[in-house]
Amino acid sequence: MVSSGVSGTANVALRDDELARIEERLGRAPSAVELHAFDAQWSEHCSYKSSRHHLKRLPTSGAGVVLGPGEDAGILHLGVHEGERYGVVVAHESHNHPSQVVPFEGAATGVGGIVRDVLCMGAEVIGLADGLRFGSVEGAHQAYVATSAVDGIGAYGNAIGVPNVAGDVYFDAGFDENCLVNVVALGIVNENEIVHSFAPKNADGWQIVLVGKATDPSGFGGASFSSLSLDSEDAELNKGAVQVPDPFLENVLMRASYHVLRLLRQLAIPAGFKDLGAGGIVGCSAEITAHGGYGAQIDLDAVNVAVEGMAPQVIAAGETQERLLWVVPPEIAPEVLRIYNDVFTLPDVAYNARAGVIGQVTAERRYVMRHRGEVVMDVESEFLTGSIRDELPYTEVIRHEGAVDELPAVDVEAIFPQVLAHRDVCSREPLYRRYDAVVRGATVLPRGRADAGVLAPIPGSRLGVALAVAGNPRYGRIDPRYAAEHAVLEAMRRVVAVGARPIGLTDCLNFGNPRKPDQYGAFVAAVDGLAHAATQLDLAFVSGNVSLYNESGDGLAVPASAIVAAIGAFDNVGDAVTPGLKEPGSTLLWIGSRELVVGGSVLADVLGIEGPLPGLSYGAERAAVAIVHEAIARGVLRSCRAVRDGGMLTALARLSFDAMLRGRTVGAEIDFGNPLCEGGGFLCEVSDAGAIDLTGVLRVGETNDRRELIVNGVRFDVRRLYDVWSQPLEELYP
Amino acid sequence: MKRAVAISLKIPDNTAYTALVALRRLGVAVARVERSDVYFFEDGADRTALAARVAADEAIFNPNKHRLAVLDRGAPRRGEVWIEPLIASKGAPAAVAWRLLDEAGAPVERSVLAAAVERLLCNPAIDRAVTEGTR
Amino acid sequence: MSARIAVPVFPGTNSEDETVRLLRDCGGDAELVHWSEPDALRQFDAYVLSGGFAYEDRIRAGAVAAHDRMMDLVIAAADAGKLVFGICNGAQILLEAGLVPGTGPARRPTAAFAKNAPSAHFICRHVHLRLALEPGRCAITAALPSGALIPAWAAHAEGRLAATPQRLEEIVSGGHVAFVYAHADGTVDSEAVPNGSALGCAGLVNRDGNVLAIMPHPERDAWNFNHLDLIEGDDVLAPSGGSAVFRSFVQALA
Repeated sequence: MVSSGVSGTANVALRDDELARIEERLGRAPSAVELHAFDAQWSEHCSYKSSRHHLKRLPTSGAGVVLGPGEDAGILHLGVHEGERYGVVVAHESHNHPSQVVPFEGAATGVGGIVRDVLCMGAEVIGLADGLRFGSVEGAHQAYVATSAVDGIGAYGNAIGVPNVAGDVYFDAGFDENCLVNVVALGIVNENEIVHSFAPKNADGWQIVLVGKATDPSGFGGASFSSLSLDSEDAELNKGAVQVPDPFLENVLMRASYHVLRLLRQLAIPAGFKDLGAGGIVGCSAEITAHGGYGAQIDLDAVNVAVEGMAPQVIAAGETQERLLWVVPPEIAPEVLRIYNDVFTLPDVAYNARAGVIGQVTAERRYVMRHRGEVVMDVESEFLTGSIRDELPYTEVIRHEGAVDELPAVDVEAIFPQVLAHRDVCSREPLYRRYDAVVRGATVLPRGRADAGVLAPIPGSRLGVALAVAGNPRYGRIDPRYAAEHAVLEAMRRVVAVGARPIGLTDCLNFGNPRKPDQYGAFVAAVDGLAHAATQLDLAFVSGNVSLYNESGDGLAVPASAIVAAIGAFDNVGDAVTPGLKEPGSTLLWIGSRELVVGGSVLADVLGIEGPLPGLSYGAERAAVAIVHEAIARGVLRSCRAVRDGGMLTALARLSFDAMLRGRTVGAEIDFGNPLCEGGGFLCEVSDAGAIDLTGVLRVGETNDRRELIVNGVRFDVRRLYDVWSQPLEELYP
Repeated sequence: MKRAVAISLKIPDNTAYTALVALRRLGVAVARVERSDVYFFEDGADRTALAARVAADEAIFNPNKHRLAVLDRGAPRRGEVWIEPLIASKGAPAAVAWRLLDEAGAPVERSVLAAAVERLLCNPAIDRAVTEGTR
Repeated sequence: MSARIAVPVFPGTNSEDETVRLLRDCGGDAELVHWSEPDALRQFDAYVLSGGFAYEDRIRAGAVAAHDRMMDLVIAAADAGKLVFGICNGAQILLEAGLVPGTGPARRPTAAFAKNAPSAHFICRHVHLRLALEPGRCAITAALPSGALIPAWAAHAEGRLAATPQRLEEIVSGGHVAFVYAHADGTVDSEAVPNGSALGCAGLVNRDGNVLAIMPHPERDAWNFNHLDLIEGDDVLAPSGGSAVFRSFVQALA
């Protein structure tokens, strides 16, 4: 019998009706531990209570899906090497609120968490990407967040030795009070060796092993913290929720875990393996057992702690980083402990870090926790971890149509340099050069060199993986649904532009307050957009995350931000399209929509005008992808770029920059209505346009043998354009 | 008036922990290591104003993770060494202060501190070690 | 029996797998040796210290690792004339251990790979290394052509060679600068140096020529798939580019 009831509900985000439901089911007041356990598990962050029923509309299955959403990460089929099937493991998370309060630590721990999510599927972690949205960095605070968050991501990923190969960043005043730090991690796994995030069959009596950093009070209350709006006055109150990164420990934990995974494979022993995320020990141990159909007995006194005298609810629900949980048979547990504690010497790596048995799996589906011999928690497992649902009202979002529907006359000579120097277009290299893009020696195309990062993840195999991230806040401000569709399209185009076959998607939905019908409506509209676009392209979402309450002190939501990652595959990574124009005399083709509108474009921002958004035609989109793939198959594609921020002319400039940086003297001459419109599609350099079906394709010009771009008769020196494009972020990221 | 400000972590200091483990492995008798970054400010006559000014500079101080102390002294205490770069760089701390304590919580002897400095804390190619009385 | 190469793994090392793989692809008999079994290092003939953040580079890059038990054995092996090759974090550890430039006693460094300058941040940038001494001056570079140009990636926050003027003079007069940073065409100037390193130095060798420490990573631009537009032959999986240094290392053991 649980003894200690509580009266107060300080620091708990549970609502009165939720509390009443708990009391009714328990038949008594919850103990302090129970209260905090439910607070974490029923938070938006863990339960997706106001988003799950909408997310059901997303396509999550298909031929290439090995494992859809529901566990710590999803898995897509990559290909076959030496008779073995390999999958790409992918997870996508936000760490927005922590990154706003302590940007370095918040962003770093975001990387740590996503890496563990991929690791615990039994995978080797092979790559990272990030989607960053920072405020207008003219403000000192916004600049501090923008630089410290990047340094945190770099410090963590660099130290653990996972290359950061893709990502995007936007700077926009809409993120002044709420930055977005989304992170994606990739892993590689033999599809026969996948480990699941739940206890396997016949696991009654198996042991629950907690591994990693000593539990401390840091991060206590983190789950409900990320589900409350930020108020600068509260930053001090939230300091308990600061999560402290230790990439050194994570590096060792990863390598030790690879060792344990190898051992389990050799012995053909199944296991459950899961990252401790929001909700800490109680959340992780309850889910790993309940999702296998079991209960658990947990002894908090067996937990390695950093300080004595912590309250049981802090040990149980605190979100100390760098911890993992195993469910293993009793006969194998001593060897698991030995690998972590003796071979990989965890106790020497961080204070009181170690692996230890903290409980058992039980057939009875009750979650029971003891502290100092007393039962401090005793609930039905499924009541704690089962889905709860909040049906919140929302308003239909109306697209904001711009006033201008005629193309303004544009002085390309004057405007193009402004577009290249625009904060959404200029070179990101000053930022991403702080990230290691090449550790592991498997990088084919590092970040920045092409539209997507490309890796050759399996030693001795030609199989390749491409990864790209997209989500344009300029579109998000105008139309959340359109922006979501566009994010899917742009992420997909980016992996196609390097020559990969798109195989799947992940998403992170970063929105405002779900209790405000208009902000919630933007979220609902974005889910519709993602679902529609993915269905039209026959791609599935295998992992994702929702971050709500990204709302400023004066009640404004961040620009609607459905950030999408696309994963692409190569049967032979040698087929990847390499950067930059290749040769004079090539034909330049625009493959894609030919609609000339400026709404939501960088050009519109530079000119200070509004306009309708470009239309979306999925038929044309599928055809464009097929043409790019055909050009590759016929061996005529020399280079390619997806047309995105800054329009086709920006894509052409990027191709000419890469040619120059590789020592080639190639430029181009094009003739085209308004080359700064952002209609999507691809700009391709082909050796022989006659080799492919040119239906729907526009010839826009050809390459020449000078470092010069001639656009509608206006000449630009490539080196000077490069200087304009490459400099703007140097001051922020020296 | 020139004054020193020490900024330390109130979240766990992993570097100090590693230094402690490494020093003990080297046989240096130390039970606790504390670390802080030291900055010098020229206009430090008004301590309260100085503290407020430093606390407002996010580039070096975030209240969610840092602790700030305006120092009375411009030099290390007993049991403490300040590792200063031979060539100062802009924006970086003027020194990293290491304070070594024994089992009883008292500052370590001068010889213990000297061993820690020589064997681990200072690379004389780029650093200068300042201890009590050396300045 | 071929010479055996150990790749020691310190807590925090992160480039051990690709280092072993490239050594093997270049014909070397290489394997990992873990920090919890330091004595296993005795059985080897040569050592490659790979990249990473041993002990997370806390205090200074390489400072704590230089005192690891494994380094007792590596220092003894270097003194006995065995080949020791350090890359990036491995180079930082060799320098903190006093093995390069080797102008002072063990574990009393006479130089540093200090924080990058003018920007003190981590930098990941493609670079080229140019061999700056006669190939035979260092056993590990002996099979490289004179003036060899090696593609590599700089990926570090602490890679700037720094020392007092007197110590720098010793480094120059003793012929310790093994590699300098260069452009793709082999020219050398300050623009080619990613980190403000003194003398444009990218690598140091000891007096006897058996210990080499380089900051950039040739093993990250070492297979054709790492540089598809500069492919050598037609096998995307074949070693090429930066692997030349590893081949030379393996040949020195033959």
